Amino acid sequence: MPTHHIQVGVDTGGTFTDFLIRDGERYFARKTRSTPDDPSRAIIKVLADIAADEIVHGSTVATNALLERNGARTAFVTTEGFEDILEIGRQNRPELYNFFAASRPRLVPRNLTFGAPERILHNGSVERELTDEAIEALARRIREAGAESVAVCLLHSYANPAHERLLGNKLERLFVSLSHKILPEYREYERASTTVVNAYVSPLMDRYLRRLDQQLTASRLRVFQSNGGSISTRAAGHNAIHTVLSGPAGGVLGAAAVARSAGFNKIISFDMGGTSTDVSLYDNGFTYTTESKIGDFPIRVPMLDIHSVGAGGGSITYLDSAGALRVGPRSAGAHPGPVCYGEGDEITVTDANLMLGRLDPEQFLGGRMPLDIERTRSHMTSFAEFVGTSPDSLAKAIIQVANSNMERAIRAISVERGYDPRDFALLSFGGAGPQHACELAARLEMNTVIVPQHAGVLSALGMLSADCVRDFSQSTLGRNVNEVFTELEARASRDFAAEGLPQVHFERQIDLRYEGQSFEITVPAADRDRFHDAHRKRYGYDHSGLAVEAVTARIRAVAPLDKIDLDAPTQAETFSSVYIPPGWASCGDAAGNLILTKP
Amino acid sequence: MSGLNLELEVFRNIFLSIADEMGIVLRRTAFSANIKERLDFSCAVYDRYAETIAMGDHMPVHLGAMPFSVAEALRSHTIDPGDIVILNDPFRGGTHLPDITSVSAVFTADDPEPAYYLATRAHHADVGGMSPGSMPLAREIYQEGLRIPPVKLFRRGEIQNETLDLILANVRTPEERRGDLAAQVASHRIGERRLLAVTEKYGRGRISRQMDALKDYTERMMRVRLQGIFDGEYDFEDFLDDDGFGSPPVRIHCRLTIHGDQAVVDYSGSARQQRGGVNANLSITVAATMYCFRCLIDDDAPFNAGLLRPIKVLTKPGSVLDAQPPASVAAGNVETSQRITDTLLGALQKALPEQIPAASAGTMNNLSLGGIDPATGLPFAYYETIAGGMGARPTADGMDAVQNHMTNSLNTPVEALEHLYPLLMRRYAVRRGSGGEGMHRGGDGVIREFEFLTDTDFALLSDRRQTRPYGVQGGQPGQPGQNLLNGNPLPSKGHFTAGAGDRLTIKTPGGGGFGREGEMEP
Repeated sequence: MPTHHIQVGVDTGGTFTDFLIRDGERYFARKTRSTPDDPSRAIIKVLADIAADEIVHGSTVATNALLERNGARTAFVTTEGFEDILEIGRQNRPELYNFFAASRPRLVPRNLTFGAPERILHNGSVERELTDEAIEALARRIREAGAESVAVCLLHSYANPAHERLLGNKLERLFVSLSHKILPEYREYERASTTVVNAYVSPLMDRYLRRLDQQLTASRLRVFQSNGGSISTRAAGHNAIHTVLSGPAGGVLGAAAVARSAGFNKIISFDMGGTSTDVSLYDNGFTYTTESKIGDFPIRVPMLDIHSVGAGGGSITYLDSAGALRVGPRSAGAHPGPVCYGEGDEITVTDANLMLGRLDPEQFLGGRMPLDIERTRSHMTSFAEFVGTSPDSLAKAIIQVANSNMERAIRAISVERGYDPRDFALLSFGGAGPQHACELAARLEMNTVIVPQHAGVLSALGMLSADCVRDFSQSTLGRNVNEVFTELEARASRDFAAEGLPQVHFERQIDLRYEGQSFEITVPAADRDRFHDAHRKRYGYDHSGLAVEAVTARIRAVAPLDKIDLDAPTQAETFSSVYIPPGWASCGDAAGNLILTKP
Repeated sequence: MSGLNLELEVFRNIFLSIADEMGIVLRRTAFSANIKERLDFSCAVYDRYAETIAMGDHMPVHLGAMPFSVAEALRSHTIDPGDIVILNDPFRGGTHLPDITSVSAVFTADDPEPAYYLATRAHHADVGGMSPGSMPLAREIYQEGLRIPPVKLFRRGEIQNETLDLILANVRTPEERRGDLAAQVASHRIGERRLLAVTEKYGRGRISRQMDALKDYTERMMRVRLQGIFDGEYDFEDFLDDDGFGSPPVRIHCRLTIHGDQAVVDYSGSARQQRGGVNANLSITVAATMYCFRCLIDDDAPFNAGLLRPIKVLTKPGSVLDAQPPASVAAGNVETSQRITDTLLGALQKALPEQIPAASAGTMNNLSLGGIDPATGLPFAYYETIAGGMGARPTADGMDAVQNHMTNSLNTPVEALEHLYPLLMRRYAVRRGSGGEGMHRGGDGVIREFEFLTDTDFALLSDRRQTRPYGVQGGQPGQPGQNLLNGNPLPSKGHFTAGAGDRLTIKTPGGGGFGREGEMEP
């Protein structure tokens, strides 16, 4: 690889846009305020002085379109008689004991929902043909309704996609998302939801990427995905579902890259920000999930398994009606922010850290934002008087409660999946992480904490350690598994060749379960026997005598890309305040990471 | 302990995560669609007094009733380490026969007495009896299926194969039952491991103190809430359509008395126990009562034994809400429990007119079916409940097509159902216009239409086919439900047979409206 080559990882966040720039042998970080009305402005501004050859971009355009409900005008087509499946969902109510819970939101209004007169059975046979006339009529109605994007999810299309294809062919000039392509797996509601979310966010993403691409003429732009790999802008524009939640995925990738170069192969990454905390587990390899949800929408494409809880530095503390101390999930956000920012009056976790001297008031955000410790002290004192304790014990209790919330999140990704956290190091980043990492580690009996050199831009760094990765899957119910793998690999090769990436290798994985069960465990296809062990590890027992069935074949297609070398020289950054409790020892490693250990 | 307890939230998180983890293991390793797809199960942690400390957010109708199972298991047996007691007998700690509950004790090293108890409850898709799915319309409990008094499935870690064989010989789908019971056992093992780990970490004394504190905390929360309701007596009555054997509408009555920070709920004005299976035992009545009060306090408050301390429940033994053997009970848990909720909420509506919604669908629309699967030559048995409309809320319309009150089980995906059983789904839709009109509209019910692909026996236990979910403050009632076979009406409860090509259509009720239509919110 030529060393003068300049690569840039760009992570657009809510407040800041982070850059990690690799210029030949060295690398350095940049940070600028985000421009939410048009995220590309912040990028263009910084990249104006940098002749980047290649850019890997993690974008929040798709996530925001979903959360802010400003996606494309989307139509939904399904088998006649089942037009309401998105509305009914799984028929459960969101909150068990709350009469006032908000009704389920919807991305597709009723007048944009269409039934197709057709029926395919579970074995893929056609019970009712979808006629040409019916297709014409549907296509006309969809256009007349003014749809910009169309999601098609017909019953059992994973077993026989013929009717979805016919419909897709007739909907030219519209954005078309076909469920058998987005997620060829059974369970119609989850497949439909995933397909609709893709249809809803892709047109915005596509427009955004085209605009950005035009402005960055000299650079090759790639898009970072939530599975930890990157894809071309063209592919991303049509499959934007794969970019949802890519920001946190960048952090996990960056965490793993730092950990590996520092000699750790088992880490739990811990990203504590202002309003929420993301945790993920890395055990000589990433862990993935196909059971994500954003807001109320299930999204079943494979993503890095990241667990999020509503506890962060800005989480507000209060006393509830029966006298228990609670923290979050309400957050003071950036405005009014914690008491020490000078405006808010509700005590937050950040205030508790400041009170206990775990945060340096002069060094917050590199000294750009001095904190008002007197304000915090006086608020904390009156709250403590009210509850009859000292301000210090109150502050400690606040931190304990916040830590117990985060401990639950780490348990969810470790203990509940059969991993013992004591075998892992805790890699902490995000603004508030280093103040909590050691105590949190101690709660889980973990004895190593890593605070990386580039903790502030770890997600952007992660983007420069990504390969080009695409996941393909196909239901194998009633089919020959090897045939399915061959088909998937042929499809993946075509897609990668079209992107100019002929060097691709495949990882074959298969979802297995005991015949009659309904939850699968993914294991390497070459090592199916591992299933019994995996079942035992996860659930404490196995049924080794029972028949095992294959449910879904998965191909991960990987084209290796040139990646960042973290042993290369870099500009040192100042750490955010790290709290080191008694009994912990700290040292810096050669790459500038801080390693904390409890003997 | 009063005032501030700085650690309470920490321990609450710990106990809740144990109950959650038990639920994850049970769900993921179960074999019947009913548990793995529909989540018709619950897991809970109890203290040394066998009082509830933490329950996962599972099925409301299970959670309030499960302590009765733990108590009955303890009355019947000395539980040793490694033992697991199972039961389903409604007159000895159960609710209705398909719900099999397992109970174990957790021992710490230094104490011969149990330190904690664990329980799981799962609705098994078949436990024998006169119809597949074991939710028949019966006159006596003997017809409803295999009745399991508290028996040990495990003794000191050893499975009791004789007991298991006896059970499996009496059910239609024995291998599925074996797998589901194994999943329940695995759930106990996980719960035990976690409880012992936290005990080692924090010490038995500290754990016990915090368990006590959590119950006190919920009790305080409930008392504060009751204090905010005007003292007085509030009466309400509602009706089940019938008992399935031609009875007149079955009266459910409650008189709610609020006095300071206490409440008395007196159901003794309710009808006598019935011939058909709408009879509820006391544990169901308590569970439904507990649910209603639970909804009055914060959504994220811990749900434990403290909740009921300020509340007294009165029933008349031998009534439909406190049934005695040999009453049939299949629908008590799933239908009558909903009407108890409607009745108590109706009374609470009078006390808290701006906080309590109109009636929801008021039925779980239980469908159970089975026969011989032509593809395998083996018996199949399937059970589901179907959502309806939610009652309109004081501030918003009711939700369409959701599970209400005492259940929150999921649907079985159409694609999974068609893979597993000889059934074809023809329609699954929101039943437009079925919610009651009002300032806020009741939610709409559901239409679910099945085509049978082979000879199939099916049983329906449904309600609100004659009576309607009430509206409040001038809102209109929701539409009653309908059951149709090839377009011809079927009664709300009964047994039927169908052949290949027959179509069963179930239309579920809409919720009641809130306030007069056209009026504005005050």
